[in-house]
Amino acid sequence: MDEFQTGEEASFLVDEVSSIIKEAIEGAIGGNAYQHSKVNQWTTSVVEQTLSQLTKLGKPFKYIVTCVIMQKNGAGLHTASSCFWDNSSDGTCTVRWENKTMYCIVSAFGLAI
Amino acid sequence: MGELGPDEGAENTYSLRPGLQHRFKSSTVKECIRAILKEKLANVQYIPEEMPELTKSLSETIKDRLKEEGFDRYKMVVQVVIGEQRGEGVNMAARCFWDADTDSCAHHVFMNDSLFCVVAAFGCFYY
Repeated sequence: MDEFQTGEEASFLVDEVSSIIKEAIEGAIGGNAYQHSKVNQWTTSVVEQTLSQLTKLGKPFKYIVTCVIMQKNGAGLHTASSCFWDNSSDGTCTVRWENKTMYCIVSAFGLAI
Repeated sequence: MGELGPDEGAENTYSLRPGLQHRFKSSTVKECIRAILKEKLANVQYIPEEMPELTKSLSETIKDRLKEEGFDRYKMVVQVVIGEQRGEGVNMAARCFWDADTDSCAHHVFMNDSLFCVVAAFGCFYY
């Protein structure tokens, strides 16, 4: 009888996901200043780029990626998330990035199938 | 074959899809979120020291409420974002890689004079 063990490929590796997110952010909004007309396109592209890189990992996971871009004007922002899942197989990674004119917070959640 | 299975009461249902009644319905969930936000944030002012606690407790409350709704075999993620209203521009986007047949999401935005709150709830079926 073969033993099917959960190998390393089937776990949510936070460091790997974190670097994928950082690359996506740098690629999409790297040297830009906040522009109201473009921000929609930026959030979409950060999220889509992150998701496509995550799916290329080929792991048996469902992914949820969210991105918030906020203009810097002295206002405060708080995010929190609560998850009902299996702690041993599922995971999350949140990356906070900023430049002179805006903040960008990306959260990625991976849920094992 | 020996003792297998976590509990004696749980039987194998052999179902790979949720029944129509048990789906993670966007509208139901959105209603839940709207009711909770209306109740909890009605007259709340944005006070920086209290916000971390508030966001965390709000996400826990909403998650617990969704658990009570009885979405069997669904894994859920609730994300709460609270920001101060100061005229800044904010944009939020989400994309998901899942089974569109069984999984779904719901979101709601609450605003009052001093703050805005966005709640996004996602439900993924566990096969």
